[in-house]
Amino acid sequence: MTEKAYEVVHLDELDRYPVDDEGLLWRPVRRRLGITAFGTNAYTAEQGTERVVEEHHEEGGHEELYFVASGRATFVLGDEEIDAPAGTFVHAEPGTRRGAVATEPNTTILAIGAKPGVPHEISGWEEIFVAFGHYRNGDEDKAREHLAAYVAEHDDAWQGHYNLACLEALTGNGDRAIGELRRAIELDPQAKEYAANDSDFDRLRDDPEFPA
Amino acid sequence: MSGTANVNEMALRIGDDPSWAMVRTHFDIKSFGVNAYIADEPGVRVIEEHDELGERAGGHEELYFVANGRATFTVDGDEIDAPAGTFVFVRDPAAKRTAVAEEAGTTIVIAGGKPGEAFSPSPWERNAEGLVHFANEDYDKAAETYEQFLDEQPGDAGFLYNLACAESRLGRKESALKHLRECVETEERFKENAVADPDFDAIRDDPEFLAITGQAGSAGTRS
Repeated sequence: MTEKAYEVVHLDELDRYPVDDEGLLWRPVRRRLGITAFGTNAYTAEQGTERVVEEHHEEGGHEELYFVASGRATFVLGDEEIDAPAGTFVHAEPGTRRGAVATEPNTTILAIGAKPGVPHEISGWEEIFVAFGHYRNGDEDKAREHLAAYVAEHDDAWQGHYNLACLEALTGNGDRAIGELRRAIELDPQAKEYAANDSDFDRLRDDPEFPA
Repeated sequence: MSGTANVNEMALRIGDDPSWAMVRTHFDIKSFGVNAYIADEPGVRVIEEHDELGERAGGHEELYFVANGRATFTVDGDEIDAPAGTFVFVRDPAAKRTAVAEEAGTTIVIAGGKPGEAFSPSPWERNAEGLVHFANEDYDKAAETYEQFLDEQPGDAGFLYNLACAESRLGRKESALKHLRECVETEERFKENAVADPDFDAIRDDPEFLAITGQAGSAGTRS
């Protein structure tokens, strides 16, 4: 089968996966269109008061360009606070702390990112976001199925095991959560530190078997 | 650098072309290509017809996002109505693509890169650095920039063309004609550009210009 020369999709047709409990929606663009040369996603804040870009810096070394496609947001970029109406570009170097809160209803921000000097690798977190999107939409089985498939394909990536552990902890499967978390820590000891501060594991923290 | 800019404030208007916001060079982005084009009125060809195969192209896959207004795309022979919010992703570097604005203020943001390779800017994009000087009508600076580019990449038809444009604007007829001749000898398609380009108004009726652009037989009959 040959791939089509092009694809078309409207913003309104993109999937909506909740990323947090505040209303931030992740709208996968790269994943939907099959883009491989760079990462790109949209984020929508429907109410217009909630976070639209999580506050973070890019540990993986991606530089990112944000474009306010509709609405308005207040960005934090390093120490600066920026009022960003539709039409604003915000560029963030990998180490620069950035985040944004919507200030108008239906604010949508397009993010484009990649790592300078290397061929683009598709970020694993996309599939993890899909899984937790299903979970937040109330479909626990679909979430587990999605993460399990990711883990099966990427058995040596600690993030898959870690996030599966989170899901199992949240859904009351303590033993399975501990097993997955152990595997994640085996692959990367950093996972232990994350787990120690991750509220997803709160109900397991007193379990003598809990490894973090 | 980290920073912020509004698409309309960044946009440069060069001649009759749609305004061009050189987003990648503005922020010195190193890992993907990104630009935006704005059409002032309906009917403006906001994306020039091109593919990503030529020597000057980057072999990129390209994502177009209609940020404002409405455009009609033609990709691989298919017509696509694209209101604001539409993404058009052209995967195949061989597919011809173009877009015409249907509304004033139609704005298209484009991101691109080559799958499986670390990003490097498309050769044509270096032109951007010199085109800024055209927009500012600083033709001395434009000529200087393209001379420098030609030292680095001798014989590049795009650089020769733009150098000839700047020289024509500066009244340096002989060198403008010399560089335009070298340009069209390398890439014949620039003849067509030269005929329509107001940068050459000062030398348009010169017999040598007519010869270079293949209009030698039609001197005096230009309408």
